[in-house]
Amino acid sequence: MRRYSAPLVFLLPATLLIVLFFVAPAVTTLYLSLTDISTITFRHPSWIGLGNYYSLLRDPFIGRILLNTAHYVGFTLLFNVGMGLLLALLTSSVRERYGNQIRAVWLLPRILPPVVYVLIWQGLSREAPYGLISDLLGTSRNWITAQPWNVIVLANGLVGASFGMLLFTSAIRAIPQDLFFAAAVDGATTGQTVRRVVLPLLRWPILFVTAYQTLSLLTSFEYILLLTNGGPGFYTTTVWSLHAYQSALSNYFGNVQFGLGAAMAAVLVVIGIAVSLFYLRIFNFRALVGEPKVEIN
Amino acid sequence: MPLLPPRWRLLFLVVAALSLPVIAGIVWLFLTGSFDEVHGLVPTGPLALKRWRFLWESIGNRPPIHVPLLNSMVFSVVVSVVVVTVASMAAYAISRLSFPGRSMYLGLVLMLHAFPAVSLIIAIFYILRLLGLFDTLTGVILVKASLDLPLGIWLMKGFFDSLSWEMEMAALVDGMSRWTLFWKIALPLVRPGVLALGTFSLLSAWGEFILPFTLIVSTRSWTMALYLQSFIGEVFTDYRVAAAVGLFYALPVIVLFLLGQRYLLNVYSGGVKG
Amino acid sequence: MKGISVRLEGLTKHFGKVVALQALDLDIRAGEMVAFLGPSGCGKTTTLLMIAGIYQSTAGQIYFNERRVDHLHPRDRDVGMVFQSYALYPHLILFENIAFPLRLKRTPQAEIEQKVRQAADLLGIGHVLDRRPAQVSGGQQQRAALARALIKEPQVLLLDEPLSNLDAQIRLQARGEIRRLQQQIGVTSILVTHDQAEALAMADRIAVFSMGKLQQLATTDDLYLRPANVFVARFVGHPPMNLLEGGFENGHFTMGTLSIPVPSGHLKGGGSLGIRPEDATLDGEVPARVVVIEPLGRETLVTLRLGEMDFKVLADQAARPTLGTEVRLGYRRDRVHLFDQAGKRVAP
Repeated sequence: MRRYSAPLVFLLPATLLIVLFFVAPAVTTLYLSLTDISTITFRHPSWIGLGNYYSLLRDPFIGRILLNTAHYVGFTLLFNVGMGLLLALLTSSVRERYGNQIRAVWLLPRILPPVVYVLIWQGLSREAPYGLISDLLGTSRNWITAQPWNVIVLANGLVGASFGMLLFTSAIRAIPQDLFFAAAVDGATTGQTVRRVVLPLLRWPILFVTAYQTLSLLTSFEYILLLTNGGPGFYTTTVWSLHAYQSALSNYFGNVQFGLGAAMAAVLVVIGIAVSLFYLRIFNFRALVGEPKVEIN
Repeated sequence: MPLLPPRWRLLFLVVAALSLPVIAGIVWLFLTGSFDEVHGLVPTGPLALKRWRFLWESIGNRPPIHVPLLNSMVFSVVVSVVVVTVASMAAYAISRLSFPGRSMYLGLVLMLHAFPAVSLIIAIFYILRLLGLFDTLTGVILVKASLDLPLGIWLMKGFFDSLSWEMEMAALVDGMSRWTLFWKIALPLVRPGVLALGTFSLLSAWGEFILPFTLIVSTRSWTMALYLQSFIGEVFTDYRVAAAVGLFYALPVIVLFLLGQRYLLNVYSGGVKG
Repeated sequence: MKGISVRLEGLTKHFGKVVALQALDLDIRAGEMVAFLGPSGCGKTTTLLMIAGIYQSTAGQIYFNERRVDHLHPRDRDVGMVFQSYALYPHLILFENIAFPLRLKRTPQAEIEQKVRQAADLLGIGHVLDRRPAQVSGGQQQRAALARALIKEPQVLLLDEPLSNLDAQIRLQARGEIRRLQQQIGVTSILVTHDQAEALAMADRIAVFSMGKLQQLATTDDLYLRPANVFVARFVGHPPMNLLEGGFENGHFTMGTLSIPVPSGHLKGGGSLGIRPEDATLDGEVPARVVVIEPLGRETLVTLRLGEMDFKVLADQAARPTLGTEVRLGYRRDRVHLFDQAGKRVAP
């Protein structure tokens, strides 16, 4: 036992926090989803089996929410990956110094506090004469109310694009210089080099970014919550994760249905676990854990 | 790319134009936070400092600004310190110590890194209530630090992996314990990693919204995110005041950005190289 | 196809403040293979990449026959190139790698098939065309890279250290193959290498580079027998030439107490005298002490202490002296190299 006292000490704090705020919540989500817990029954929930899941299926708005979720994830993903790729290719094709400056600019939406970021979007989307978008488009509207989906996708996309941009840029940099030289000597233009050499070599990074962002978009609702809170009107922009959150935690409808929210969250948790386990398989995991070269602790 | 395309200047213009919306947003924040009236990005009124009165008086039934400001500072600094310390310790163990289940532990960390933690928020709310940590800064700090841990461990493991084993062996032969070795030798040697992770978690905690929004109710525990949100969440938003508060809240981030773009690029590209 | 001539005039390349290549003038004849030889950082690869069109020259001109090409994009220069890393496209099978230049030119599929097969069979990789580069051996990768460079029948073939990633044994074989193929096709070729054995074995003429400057362009024999300066004298030949530094006076070379008669009586002032280890013997008249003995199998490398410096002699195995003894150093008088103060060859 003494032999393992060192790893024990080193791992204890992390393990404690992970158990408390990852493992326990995952189990709790599943458990709560099988009870009728709500504002009234918070202290003494009773077991109702799959009741919450049945009411989910019977919910008349479930179709709408699924459609919204698909719309949100699909379009934001398209923007994120496409824009990220475009930015990575363009910033890699200009002088390094300028490329870095552009990439740095795109970091701003990511590091700005989300509430400030959303405030800026709200300000830019106002009616004339205040809003810049109204100015540019020549039509005075509150664009968040008029085009909620476009604003949501763009607001998420400007943040999300930088993820792909940085990852693709590193991947482009990892391509050996000789391959670019060889392509030039073989007679390729810049466009042909990108299409025939660079893009095929970015296949895995693109797949990775797509998979990773699908999962995080599926569960994220921060910007929607702040921008439209699911509106305008009834469920216009409510996605699955936001609906789960609102059912369980917001007083939007007065009666908080904790169990129902947990059931919706449980679906996400199960998808999350399945997909992240899948990542583990794709990653060449064994290669990542070399044996320690010192055998004592 | 190693070969500059002949028309790279044109490409630069294209990508610069694509980036204009981002710049426009920041400009809007500065202008609206400073001038009496702004149309689009054109100030039409005089400089107005009145909207900055939130700095010296409470507005509505909100707490005075120093309360959320101090809370935010404590929140982000403590989260950052906890993440760096706890993640480094665990990463060191995974990278350097031999114990059964080591690769399983790394697998768990890797999986949690990909796992979207927001989906747990409902259960976390419930657990904090059970623990009596609901509506306390301590509770949110613990949650936020935990959720950043997988990324932190993963990042730091990479840095520890690159340390030389000979150095480790020499220290052990010299009679050092693993504990002293970690603090005195290993950790100082991965300082770029510590700085990168520290910066990352500091910025991430400073901007955090969903966790405090869900887990904090009383105004005495508000962070800056909640304070600013209280201006936006109103039926009629006074953008002039909101922009001033937003500018005040975002200023440290913007200053850091202006001073260390290159550094931040490295941090967000996955740690710091060189 | 018949090769063309390549002419470089005042070719210069600066990287920021660093001068990588300084005013290079060079004439390469049609169909000839010239090796660029020199230590790393001497400017040989830089020159090659400028001829390929990947680097832009800071000054000077490049002509293919009488056509000036230095302002042209690589694709308009009609060159083929083999890289040290081979630079095969990792996502394409060998067939597609070799076909790549033809596909860019929108060559008809049937013609591509026929040309790729032909080139691959010529190089003995016809049976692995459906594999990716990572799935074949280093030697096969090297041949695929060569096939890709030759497939579009270029006017100039550029070879950048093409053999340095191969095992010693395959390298010897590949040397001969490349040379045979080049002579067969008659394509003007430039081989960049830091390995003098490779340069000597493969090239018609060798250009020796150092510090961004061309030191000498000559045939193998000339390079060995008449090195243009001290650098070439020391760089070409193994073990390297012994260089004694001293002065010329009255038909003699003197260094300390040592005085050696030289054929050119008119020389004056400081300079150096070079003798190759294989041109020296142990049965002359200059007294020296044996300090190191290295048996090399067929011969023995003997290091002598001569005044202030070491002097190496390649002696017969049979004539191996005893360590620490005095011997009498001799040399072939017709194989003495004389250099002036600036290191330039003066005679014979």
